[in-house]
Amino acid sequence: MNLTPADPNNRVIRLGSKPPSETTITAKGAKGDFLLPDDLAIRIENLSITYKINVDTKKTLKNAVMRASKGERVRMRQVEAVKNISLDIPHGSVVGIVGANGAGKSTLMRSIAGIMPPTSGRIIVNGKISTLLALGVGFNPALSGRDNIILGGLASGLTRDEIDSKTDEIAAFADLPDGFIDMPVRTYSSGMYGRVAFAVSVSMTPDILLLDEALSAGDASFKEKSFLRMRELVEEARTIVIVSHALATISDLCDTAIWMHKGSILAHGAPEKIVEEYLKFLEVGTLPSNLEDM
Amino acid sequence: MSANGSPRGKGSSVNGRKKATAPLIQVFEPHKAKTPPLIPYFAEFWQRRTFALELARFADKAEYLESKLGKAWLVLNPLFLSLVYFLLVTVLRGGASKTDGLNTLAHILIGIFMFYFAQNIISDGAQSITSGGRLILNQAFPRALLPFSSAVRAFGQFWPTIPTYFAVVLVGKIFYPKTHIPLADWNYIWAPFIIAALAITAFGLSLVFAVMNVYFRDTSKLLTYTTRIWLYGSPVLWKPEMLHGWHRIFLYINPLGPSLAATYHVWIDGVTPSLAEFIGMGFWIILSMAFGTYFFTSRERDFAVRV
Repeated sequence: MNLTPADPNNRVIRLGSKPPSETTITAKGAKGDFLLPDDLAIRIENLSITYKINVDTKKTLKNAVMRASKGERVRMRQVEAVKNISLDIPHGSVVGIVGANGAGKSTLMRSIAGIMPPTSGRIIVNGKISTLLALGVGFNPALSGRDNIILGGLASGLTRDEIDSKTDEIAAFADLPDGFIDMPVRTYSSGMYGRVAFAVSVSMTPDILLLDEALSAGDASFKEKSFLRMRELVEEARTIVIVSHALATISDLCDTAIWMHKGSILAHGAPEKIVEEYLKFLEVGTLPSNLEDM
Repeated sequence: MSANGSPRGKGSSVNGRKKATAPLIQVFEPHKAKTPPLIPYFAEFWQRRTFALELARFADKAEYLESKLGKAWLVLNPLFLSLVYFLLVTVLRGGASKTDGLNTLAHILIGIFMFYFAQNIISDGAQSITSGGRLILNQAFPRALLPFSSAVRAFGQFWPTIPTYFAVVLVGKIFYPKTHIPLADWNYIWAPFIIAALAITAFGLSLVFAVMNVYFRDTSKLLTYTTRIWLYGSPVLWKPEMLHGWHRIFLYINPLGPSLAATYHVWIDGVTPSLAEFIGMGFWIILSMAFGTYFFTSRERDFAVRV
């Protein structure tokens, strides 16, 4: 088996086969400047993310006051979503992340996007990020698709002029049936909804595109169109990180894959191999023998 | 978050305009003292203000898209409410002269308009994070932009009530010329400051309630009742001078109290607000913004896992 287990000494895992560039760039951290190879799109250093969630069934002020009156506290649980991950992703990579629910995939993606700051460790992102981590990004159902494209673009950090100049291009990419782009989004099917969201995220000309279960939207022809667009992005040396339970997508599209398990990177390597072993794990429920100790 | 370097893509242009310079090398590190680094935070807040302004505009468009009277409701709603309260107050008080009646109507009118402005900032701001769930799960931006957008929207709904107030007073003065309500008076120069003080205080409070609503989803429901009681406890249906001695403390422990008392003095009495009112407004601006900003930014990280 050609799986590469995660390093037990937690050295940085560098994805891809090329050695790191000797040319460096400077990034500014809280404790001063530091250098990193200029071919890196993403560097993750000893990243851990924990957060607390309220496990009470009723998350209400009334419930909290009632509990306090009985001398009880709101029931909280600490979640260790990501555990000490170190990873280098070079520019031009298409990385697939697989793993069971609760493996920490989405939290990792959010932390790369800057949405979820680390509890410890550091993430350096070299390039402009575009994300599609929650389907139907900020869409207001009462507004038209066109209005929502403008809102989505502004939320991504584009100026009004920039998004105005891209709106027609995005609407054309979404390829909705006649007239739908100017109709309220609440009249859309879930596929149409997903098309618009995907069109917005890939039209931002990102250096790094983060997609979490975003490729399930749309029919077969839109999926092919999405794949083609992503191939174009890769040819422009842009980086894509995909989280998907559609394992065929990972095999078809990615040049490297990561298997996350309970917050850690269990293995990395060729997508076909990772997917094959992950599928066996899903069927049998036990980890491959050479990964059990990880 | 800090940024430097010059990776690919920088400096490209659209329609001859240079792109907004997004930070192209971003470093995400744990927050010190739970809050993000505040200088980059506010720099990004300022850079992304257009998003908040457009979000407010689109939210307004969405709300009134299918209403026949559309934005007229923004004025009609507080106007009708003021008339109901006016009838209630005059019936309860009984036997007021016609001039007094116009004074009472004008006071309730401007008081309700101002109070509703603050109430809209607080209640819409309180729901801004929970209702912006998908945006929060998908995009990294200073979350304070969402309650700020609600405040901008509330201002857009508030300003048309000012000409309405003057129209009512103008008509009233035609019928009752002896009334002393000012129409053109130098003391109106204080009005923008009072409106700003009210808005900033309410925005600071909205930051607190926005966080509370993330943790406890019934906060916004509770606010519906709280703001109603708050209205009765504010100098909107009664004059600030009705409080004497130590009772005047109620005017100042109310975060909106000094602004609403100053509103009465400028708009109805035509006098400069008192020093105590200026100090009260300043105190509540500083307290609500300092506490609101700390409370909000120190809890921002939780939003992505709780919305």
